[in-house]
Amino acid sequence: MFAQKAPAYRRYLRRFIPASLLYVVAIFLASWLIPDGAAATALTVGIALLPGLAIIGMIWAMGRLLVELDDEYLRMLEVQKALVATGFALAVAGTWGLLEIYTDVPKLPVFLIFPVWCGGLFLGQLWQKARGA
Amino acid sequence: MKNRLKVLRAERDWSQQVLAEQLGISRQSVNAIETGKYDPSLPLAFRIADLFGLAIEEIFQRD
Repeated sequence: MFAQKAPAYRRYLRRFIPASLLYVVAIFLASWLIPDGAAATALTVGIALLPGLAIIGMIWAMGRLLVELDDEYLRMLEVQKALVATGFALAVAGTWGLLEIYTDVPKLPVFLIFPVWCGGLFLGQLWQKARGA
Repeated sequence: MKNRLKVLRAERDWSQQVLAEQLGISRQSVNAIETGKYDPSLPLAFRIADLFGLAIEEIFQRD
């Protein structure tokens, strides 16, 4: 399939996979090294920001895919998925935020917004499949 | 927008993959254009027209 052969997709995977692995390792490292309720020192902040750098790497990889993908139809599909993901993440954050204000539901950690957005990408892909894209 | 891409391709006995390779796009794109799910940009429409040696309006027509 072209989607897998296209150089832009190969470059995307070469960028995204290391960034996602770094994210998992950095999350484990931060959870292991930083005790609960630790003070915000240069060291703890530095360790805690490592997963954030990995997230920035993943977002950068996705952005480069949109720039480098020279097949206009596939690029449109990727942009559609990103729009669905953005709408989904905003809807979850906005509605859950209101629930937090008016009820005693547990707080949604802000760091979950990116995984929720990625879940939205999956929903976007399902929507495209359902429409025969 | 309607198009005659499938007919033109069949006349030349080209598969979607062959046409896609000649245009430098994905087979998915060719399929999406043929089935009317996607209208190509003007530059891509020109490339398609050039490949078949036809004018754009001989391939693509209004609904």
